[in-house]
Amino acid sequence: MLQNIHFNKLKDLPEQVKQFGGLVALTIFIILSFGILNVFWGGGDELIRKMKLEEERIAKEKKLNELISKLPSGILVTFDGTDNYRLTDELYEAVCNATKLIPQRAIMAAHFLNYEAYELYTINGNKIDDTFVKWDSEKNKCFAGYSVSGENVGVNKTENVSGEVLSFLSTGIDTRVYFIKNF
Amino acid sequence: MELIRKYPKLFQWLFLLSVFFTLCFAIDVPETYKFIRGQAEFVKDPNQSTYIFLGKEVRYFAFDNFWRLPPLLGWLPIWINDGLFFLLNEWMPMEFWNEDTQEFKTRPLVLQITRNITAFMTFLIEFIREILLGGVETIVAFSSWDWIDKNPWAELPGLPWTIVAAGATILSYKLSGKGLALFAGFTMVYISIFGQWKPSMQTLSFILVAAPLSFIFGLSLGIMAYKSKRVEKALYPILLVMQTMPQYAVLVPAMVLFGIGDHAAVIITMVVAIPPMILLTILGLRAVPPEVIEAGKMSGCNNWQLLFKVLIPTARRDILIGVNQVIMVCFSMAVIAAFIGAKGLGWNLLLALNQLNIGLALEAGLCISLIAILLDKMSLAWANKQEDYFGNLTFFQRHKNFIFFVGAVILGLILAYSGSFIFKDTFNYLFEIPHNKGISTAGFWNKGVDWIFDTFFVYIKAFNTWLITEVLQPMRGLYLRMPAVATLVLVIGAGYIIGGIRSAIVVGSLALFIAFSPWWDRALVTAYMATFGVIASMIIGVTVGTICVQNKITTNFMLGICDIFQTFPSFVYLIPVMMLFGITDTSVLIAVIVYATIPATRYTIEGLRGVPVALHDAATMSGVTKFQRLTKIEFPLAFPHMMLGLNQTIVFALFMVIIGAFIGTEDLGQYILKALSDKQGGGKGLTLGICVAFIGLIFDNLIRTWVDKRKKHLGID
Repeated sequence: MLQNIHFNKLKDLPEQVKQFGGLVALTIFIILSFGILNVFWGGGDELIRKMKLEEERIAKEKKLNELISKLPSGILVTFDGTDNYRLTDELYEAVCNATKLIPQRAIMAAHFLNYEAYELYTINGNKIDDTFVKWDSEKNKCFAGYSVSGENVGVNKTENVSGEVLSFLSTGIDTRVYFIKNF
Repeated sequence: MELIRKYPKLFQWLFLLSVFFTLCFAIDVPETYKFIRGQAEFVKDPNQSTYIFLGKEVRYFAFDNFWRLPPLLGWLPIWINDGLFFLLNEWMPMEFWNEDTQEFKTRPLVLQITRNITAFMTFLIEFIREILLGGVETIVAFSSWDWIDKNPWAELPGLPWTIVAAGATILSYKLSGKGLALFAGFTMVYISIFGQWKPSMQTLSFILVAAPLSFIFGLSLGIMAYKSKRVEKALYPILLVMQTMPQYAVLVPAMVLFGIGDHAAVIITMVVAIPPMILLTILGLRAVPPEVIEAGKMSGCNNWQLLFKVLIPTARRDILIGVNQVIMVCFSMAVIAAFIGAKGLGWNLLLALNQLNIGLALEAGLCISLIAILLDKMSLAWANKQEDYFGNLTFFQRHKNFIFFVGAVILGLILAYSGSFIFKDTFNYLFEIPHNKGISTAGFWNKGVDWIFDTFFVYIKAFNTWLITEVLQPMRGLYLRMPAVATLVLVIGAGYIIGGIRSAIVVGSLALFIAFSPWWDRALVTAYMATFGVIASMIIGVTVGTICVQNKITTNFMLGICDIFQTFPSFVYLIPVMMLFGITDTSVLIAVIVYATIPATRYTIEGLRGVPVALHDAATMSGVTKFQRLTKIEFPLAFPHMMLGLNQTIVFALFMVIIGAFIGTEDLGQYILKALSDKQGGGKGLTLGICVAFIGLIFDNLIRTWVDKRKKHLGID
């Protein structure tokens, strides 16, 4: 009964008011629909967090690339040398963070004192598994390493080689580990 | 409440705008939002979200939905592509006889059909091309290369340019008299001596195939729609979309189905040219008075006779206007079809524009425009020509044009033959002037462009910089700053206020399609460019139209100018603007303004002219001034018609904005252009085209609904 009364009241409203009410209802309906859609499809804080991380990484990489492009081509060392470019402490850390590659030369030199690793390396077709170049903030030194694995006389073995990076090679485009002191 | 009752619409608009702006200010730009963040690129990015629909994976950047909706229709282009691929390569494989290998070969049905259509079209084009320019392909089609080697005399010689020129002149004289004959003669001589004969005939050959076929299909479908409500209902949405669909967009799927070349160009041209023919056929047939149909039935006509002896002859004028429209569309397509390898003037124009050789582009553009104007005038003259009944004419009077043409053919042949002696050591200029051996003004125009640049560089650059930095960039920024929810509230709300819930649903659906496509941002850029063009065009068009309509001579002069400008293929507008402003957004926008001003001016003039003379007299007798008459009587009455002009202006502006992609805009057109060179571009091109068409249809729906209501209100329906 009460519903009927309200319905009749609505029906009796002037046409202009009904139209205006329709517009208001339509607007609310659209906004609500967007809200519902947002529940299922909206990408909020998670995306922002991911994108921020990505942007930070890109910015860092860009900065390091800029630094590397300013370095002279050749061998970069951490000690007093004759013809080589000596890195300051800050540069040493920056170059360490920017370096990703451990070329074969550095690997072969590191094998010099690790015969097991040398054997695994040559038997399994000069393949290496994981590599890393990282800055040790406690020791204030750059460390690099890799692991070699494979079969040697029918036995599966894994050998980890790591040590302090004493020098880098700057190609003008990137920097690479030049010598790993694993003794 | 009283106020709402007194000014209902004003309140509704105020409410809508306040909601719109509140939403705009309340919703912040997400930190991660960047324009052109690959949402439309289908590239892989670690930050993208994905969803799978109908087995298709769609990758997108998920924003707050109030800001940008997710591309829930992102699967559509991929699905269309896969559908096309399936149809062409897998669906219904059948055995078909191969003439070359003399054995049966398995091929999917659709591929076989498209190849057969392609072969048929290529044959028709070659045939006409060889009549106009000479060749052996047609004879080979009926015989073989071996036979041609044995009988070299069978090679088809082309028609000398003098004969074609004389033929065009005589036909123009027959249709409209001396004026058009002189123009036809001038056009033909111009294209010949400027060395554009061969490309012109190539263009003409593809139009001579596309136009008659479009006419036949358009007329047939128009008759079917007139006869059957079901056919009409089925055709209506297609016709509606095709009216606002940029021609570029049709290129891509057609290219996938039919490949590239003249044959594909003919098919695409037909797709674009058939809709106006259908519409004008329906219009013409509907306008046939019922008394005429009754008279036909009472005379004992069967359905067939009623159609061909009564309805079509009575609707002749509208149908021939349709032919005129078909020819015009064919010419506008001549350049666009060059993107998929159609030879001729369009190809030359495109090549010249690509090389930034404005002089060469101008020559080719002028040729296209001259031929387009000539064919436009000829077809209109044909449409308006009354049937002559020769009661007392002699044989010569009745057939003088044919006799003159035969004479011209003989004279042309003699000239071409004597030319082979006169120009023994060089080209026979009386037979055909080769493409690069005619007079060329390209150097002159190029120097002119250089001079303009050297002299006005500072001013042009200053204007360019001011326009881009002070007007265009902020406007673009404002459009991109609109959250999706605000835009949809505005569009749907406007639909509701203007046309009620039905209109709101229609425009809402169209806008949602774009919002759910992966190209919402690009659509906003397209809308911003079109809006700028439309505002400027309407200001110029309404001002010029209002001034011109005050005098009969200026009115006719301006309508004549509009006629000529409307005949130019849209690409031609890019030439002068590139001359002046180089490769910038300014060039595109000025081309948009020039192109879109035509309908704005024309509809203003026609609207103001359409105000009843009695009202003029009544106003004058009431003692109003000229200005009062204009503002109080003429403008309000002409306003609905002027709004239809606005509708046309929007469609013209959208077309030009899309073509402007050739210069390098960053809107939907750019993506259509990209899709052209993409193997998987068919679906993208079509979806993008639909998006542009829907932008046009949103405005079309809003304006038409308003105009209908307003006309009813004013009692001028």
